[in-house]
Amino acid sequence: MTAVARIRDRFIKTDRNYLKIVGATGQLGYGIPEPAFSTALSHDLDMVGADMGSTDIGPTFLGNGEMATSAEQTERDLQKLIVGSRSKDIPLIIGSAGSAGAKPHLDATLEIVRKVAKNQGLKFRMAIIRADIDPNSVVRAIKDRRVSSLGVLPELTAEETYKCTNIVGQMGTEAFVRALQTEPDIIIAGRACDTGIYAALPQWLGFDPGPVTHMAKIVECASLCCVPGGRDPIMATLQADGFTLESMNPARAATPMSVAAHSLYEQADPHRIIEPEGVAVVDKVKYRAIDERRTWVTGATWEPAKQLSIKLEGAASVGYRAVLLAGSADPRFIAGLDKILHDVKEVVRGLVCSEGEEPDYDLFFRRYGLDAVYNWQNSPDNLPREIFILGECLANTQARAMAVVKSTKQYLLHHGFPGRLSTSGNIAFPFTPPELAAGPAYRFNAYHLMQVDNLESYFPVEVEEVS
Amino acid sequence: MRLIDIAKVVRSKNAGPLNLTFDIMFESEEDYARGLASEDLKAPSIASIYGVSENTVIVTPYPAALAIKITIPRQYPAGNPGDRDVYGAQQHIGLLEVKI
Repeated sequence: MTAVARIRDRFIKTDRNYLKIVGATGQLGYGIPEPAFSTALSHDLDMVGADMGSTDIGPTFLGNGEMATSAEQTERDLQKLIVGSRSKDIPLIIGSAGSAGAKPHLDATLEIVRKVAKNQGLKFRMAIIRADIDPNSVVRAIKDRRVSSLGVLPELTAEETYKCTNIVGQMGTEAFVRALQTEPDIIIAGRACDTGIYAALPQWLGFDPGPVTHMAKIVECASLCCVPGGRDPIMATLQADGFTLESMNPARAATPMSVAAHSLYEQADPHRIIEPEGVAVVDKVKYRAIDERRTWVTGATWEPAKQLSIKLEGAASVGYRAVLLAGSADPRFIAGLDKILHDVKEVVRGLVCSEGEEPDYDLFFRRYGLDAVYNWQNSPDNLPREIFILGECLANTQARAMAVVKSTKQYLLHHGFPGRLSTSGNIAFPFTPPELAAGPAYRFNAYHLMQVDNLESYFPVEVEEVS
Repeated sequence: MRLIDIAKVVRSKNAGPLNLTFDIMFESEEDYARGLASEDLKAPSIASIYGVSENTVIVTPYPAALAIKITIPRQYPAGNPGDRDVYGAQQHIGLLEVKI
């Protein structure tokens, strides 16, 4: 009997009418704190989940197919979750595999899972859910006017769709439920709504999707809903009408205020949790302290979606990036920086392009200490005593981007300007080479909503017996 | 008073790669009420601080956490060429000097 079958039978056939669900980490691959995870495993759990991805990391990883986390730490975290969940024979559910959840990310994650199984001598059934969306189906939907922009990106076109190196859709709870029906021990999903990881088991067993989705939205961030907030695993004990939250680190408390405040986190609207299958409405939720460290949450309601939709995510190449790292403490250089950088750009253009030729690259400078982090409306009252300049070039090849950045470095170092005192060099390099090849660069070109008639055909489930 | 002096939390973060969301949390009901009443935390002022159009600014009071949430569109999608702050975690700076 597999873990999912065991947990289902225990719930249906015994008088156990609650589920104990642990959110191990909101971002697998950066470390899962101990002893909190071991504490979680001591609680006779019904499942443990982990989220592996996000769009927060920007378009690069979706574009290049690589993981944002290190291979070494990712394996360590996966091993901890696999060994831990297998030792207690409870389901392990992981979403947004490999940071961005497209095929290369999911396949790399599955390879690590198989390696862990082999090294640890473990056998289990693994359900795999893919999240790649066929660009042809997106283009058909565009022609049928079923794809809409979600903000600053323009309406999606066929041309842009085919530029995506990877396109994924955010799967919902529905896909995880289909995976549960195959009675696996472990589910590894591509790009997924983080709520689906935790909402699927309870919804499959008949719990109301309102409180379930609310619980899922909180536990997916581990102990972030606590004071002090942190990354330790959290446990939700789900009952028919609500759930209790408890951090697995005794130093963290889930209080009514801290849990209520968590509804704000990274959400555009704190009152509505929007999922592919509907919306959990949380504006009338009640939070009650059970004791100093645990809070009972009840009152979320569910509105099924009138129109099913999938959020699409796609990234396209913008060439190659090279960067220059340089600092200055010279007050005259800093005071004259606007014109100096403008002039150096012009000089470089004359050096790396033929006469009359338009530049085939983008070169721009981020001026830390002045305006690199925030787009200030006013100049500072006093100039900083040091600045850091990050030169950034995007070009069609890595060699071209490096050529531009290397000339930029040399001519910024020796650029003459009115009032210059430091005639042997304008900038300080922290090390050499100060020019670094940053590899292929990407942009989000798809973050759009696609209306669909069903969800299941987009997120196929495969089953693999791992040994 | 300025938010930097009165607020318990002033933070910003991506809400997806196309939006920035700001949370301002207060210590007390009184401070929260002051924040809610302030013209400088309403859509027109926020639009002017962040250089976005007023009809794209969403201000949502959230009494359960004595908080005001503000959501605006990003200038660039997160991490696209030209973006300053991929996670959007440092864009709260524009609110710190707001007086309520």
